[in-house]
Amino acid sequence: MRNSFFKILVFALIIAILGVLSIYSSTYQKEGGSWQDIYKRQMLWLVIGMACFFLMSRFNYRKLWDANYFIYAAALFFLFLVFVLGIVRLGAQRWLRFAWFNFQPSEFAKLAIIIFLARYFSRKSVNYTSLLSGKFGIFQGIILPFIFVAIPMFLIIEQPDLGSGLMLMLVFVCLLYLTHVRLKYIFVLLATLILPLPFFWHFLRDYQKQRLLVFLNPNIDPLGAGYTVIQSRIAIGSGGFWGRGWLSGTQSQLYFLPESHTDFIFATFSEQWGFLGSSLLILMYYLIIRQGFIIAQRTQDSFGRLLAYGISLLLVLQIFINIAMNLGLAPVVGLPLPLMSYGGSSVLVTFIALGILVNIDRTRNVF
Amino acid sequence: MIMERKNILNFIIIFMFSALLIGLLNLDILQSAKFRRLSDNNCIRLIAQSASRGNILDRNQDIIVDNKISYDVMIFPQDPGQLDRVLTNISRILEVEVKNLKIAFKKNFISASVPVAVASNIELKKAILLGEYKNEEPGIIIQSKPLRHYPYGALAAHLIGYVNEIDRWRLTKLEDYGYKTKDIVGFGGVEERYDYYLRQEEGGLSVEVNHRGKIMRVLGFEPPRNGKDIQLTIDLKIQKIAEDNLEGRKGSVILIDPASGEILALANYPNFNPSVFVNKRTSIIASLFNHPDSPLINRSIGSSYPPASVFKLIDACAGLELKKINLSTSFDCQGSTMVGARKFSCWDTHGVQNIFQAIAHSCDVFFYRTGLLLGAQNIHDYALKLGLGRKVGFELGYEASGFIPSPLWRKINKFQNWYNGDTANLAIGQGDCLVTPLQAVNMISVFANGGYLTNPYIVKAVGGVEVWAKKKKLSPVNFKKSTLETISKGLRQVVTDTKGTGNVLADLPVAVAGKTGTAQVAHGATHAWFVGFFPYNKPKFAICVFLENGGPGYTASVVTKQIIKAMNEQGLI
Repeated sequence: MRNSFFKILVFALIIAILGVLSIYSSTYQKEGGSWQDIYKRQMLWLVIGMACFFLMSRFNYRKLWDANYFIYAAALFFLFLVFVLGIVRLGAQRWLRFAWFNFQPSEFAKLAIIIFLARYFSRKSVNYTSLLSGKFGIFQGIILPFIFVAIPMFLIIEQPDLGSGLMLMLVFVCLLYLTHVRLKYIFVLLATLILPLPFFWHFLRDYQKQRLLVFLNPNIDPLGAGYTVIQSRIAIGSGGFWGRGWLSGTQSQLYFLPESHTDFIFATFSEQWGFLGSSLLILMYYLIIRQGFIIAQRTQDSFGRLLAYGISLLLVLQIFINIAMNLGLAPVVGLPLPLMSYGGSSVLVTFIALGILVNIDRTRNVF
Repeated sequence: MIMERKNILNFIIIFMFSALLIGLLNLDILQSAKFRRLSDNNCIRLIAQSASRGNILDRNQDIIVDNKISYDVMIFPQDPGQLDRVLTNISRILEVEVKNLKIAFKKNFISASVPVAVASNIELKKAILLGEYKNEEPGIIIQSKPLRHYPYGALAAHLIGYVNEIDRWRLTKLEDYGYKTKDIVGFGGVEERYDYYLRQEEGGLSVEVNHRGKIMRVLGFEPPRNGKDIQLTIDLKIQKIAEDNLEGRKGSVILIDPASGEILALANYPNFNPSVFVNKRTSIIASLFNHPDSPLINRSIGSSYPPASVFKLIDACAGLELKKINLSTSFDCQGSTMVGARKFSCWDTHGVQNIFQAIAHSCDVFFYRTGLLLGAQNIHDYALKLGLGRKVGFELGYEASGFIPSPLWRKINKFQNWYNGDTANLAIGQGDCLVTPLQAVNMISVFANGGYLTNPYIVKAVGGVEVWAKKKKLSPVNFKKSTLETISKGLRQVVTDTKGTGNVLADLPVAVAGKTGTAQVAHGATHAWFVGFFPYNKPKFAICVFLENGGPGYTASVVTKQIIKAMNEQGLI
């Protein structure tokens, strides 16, 4: 039990510190006080995140079962609030202004949905000890949870944050797969999602279409939408095996790489630390996720198990999509790299999620 | 069932992470070199720093041609949206149309790492305005660039030549010496001949810039090197006098130091202002090339003309040297003489003439007879001895060799026999005989310096190192002293004799000696010649005034007189 706690803590901390170093390297040459402070803010978030991690690791996750509807409603409420009051930044309305920080409700919504789904699929009949989900028909197994997922997802996509929205859908499908819901139903869901895709094409924003097209061929618009991918690939590729060294990456430090401290922080890191550093980073991410899966497997409580799977999947998908888009293997969607990218909400939610994960492992023997 | 599903998921996740590692491997290891290069291209910029071309100075170190700072606007290539905005703002400041800037940008674009010139030679005031705008738009570079400046306009234009972008022909020839496309090189005159020394070496900065083109740090610096100054033997004041007096008359004036062969002044008209090539005044340049009088031709060395009476000195020399005539030889000029069955007339009736009188009066009959005594081959040989009919070996290019006919040449080339009439014609410098003004002044120097054929030169020092000693080459003609003295005396009498053809020069405070010439041409007025030297007793200057279609030799004498008078007034003699 201690084992998983320390493994997760140590890897998460190392990754987060590397993240702060990368944020510092990509912003220290920018003029203006707000840029200089960014890495300090991230350090503050890291400290708060650690506190949350310890807190959540002590907080019995079963209480989430009870708070589930409240959490879900709160997430929806904040998403609506973003819709009404949100700050428009980089053409998207994703943030809520609080006292001294901007809060991104979609990050919390991801966690809230996972908690909701874990609870939904781990309900037991009152007089029967086995899970209900095995007996779910298509309505209860697919359509009803889909509606619950689709409402926040729609709000997130409308922000617009296609990446987070689609990622939620993927987490949903994966969780369906891990519960007792019949494969047949899942395929029906996938078919209904994929078949109208050409139709949805028309509903995408111009920049979203552009990003998808650019993903297929970054060179169609080298100075416009393809610019980021090209610069990111250059940054990663120029690192070579050993990297260009700490504070010596020209791509990220001379601002050829946009969003070098947020979505494209992996490229920033990779430019400086090369193949060696990047593969070690990916390995550490894998080890955290592996811990999450191990925890899920040895947890007897089905709510805890699904929650652990959900959290791990949330991390896996974000990490994979983010690094893949940095490498030019996936379309550019606005997904942060958990633990590394600048952004308080993401850091906080990730540490909370990891805290829950550790707590699941800690309390598994109680039941 | 859940066991199977989670194992499958596990595999999928391992597969996903492996895919990431493979992607990383591809970029970091397999394509690393390519991306490293792209990364360097992104942030490394080369900024040329121009040096100035060497100045051209006169013999007293006064500047004939130098350089003036001009300002070019250059911008770093950047993404198209920004480019449009930047160009629009630049056009507003410069008050030119955006379209022109865009055209210039397209034309001058070399590569993404080199700044592109969009406007050149802008005013200082606008350069300062743009310099202020640069704070907002760091991708702009105001580059000061030295440009050729001609403080005296067209003065000595043919000697100096002009500068322009290298042409294809020169590029293929000079590529091995480090010349590149778009290099500015000399065309004609000293600019071309000494281009290798005059040309500057561009230096440059390699700098690291950020995504907006702002310079972050300097990676390397290669200092620019100025070209070497060339000091000419020209005396600016004499050159100015020569040009002022030639102004408006087609022809050339050359003054050299007979003792060394230094060219003190060399003027041609029509001339051109070399600055039109710097300012790219295309219409004027085109008119220069198409002008019927060919203003770009250096007439003094590049064109040859019938020498007419000037040539009579050759006959006199040859006659005295070969003892065909002596000081007591005289011929009776009755206005004409019969050569074979043809009557050859003199331009006047001179009566009995000895050699002094014949030179002074330029009597044709005397020289017909002398020529016939000598024979054509001897005349030809002595002409060559005095430097005619072959290139002087002047250091500036495009020299004409002139031409002296001979019986053998005629036989070989024209399949015609040589007749006595041809000899008589040759004797007075008509017929096929052609001489350049430089050859003429070189020839007359022999009588001024006591029998040495000089090798005229124009460059005194290159980059402060005196080179004239290597160029000064005096070859003795090995004439008897008495011959030279006799002819000198005759040349003096041209001026002093009241009936002498150059008598107009007699009232100058400086004793001048010389010979006039009036060359018959197929079309138009005669060419006027005056070749001579002064002061007579201790010659410091040899002069040749040649006026193309300028009328009788008298007009050339008048121009000579004005030049010498002005020189005397300015205390240059």
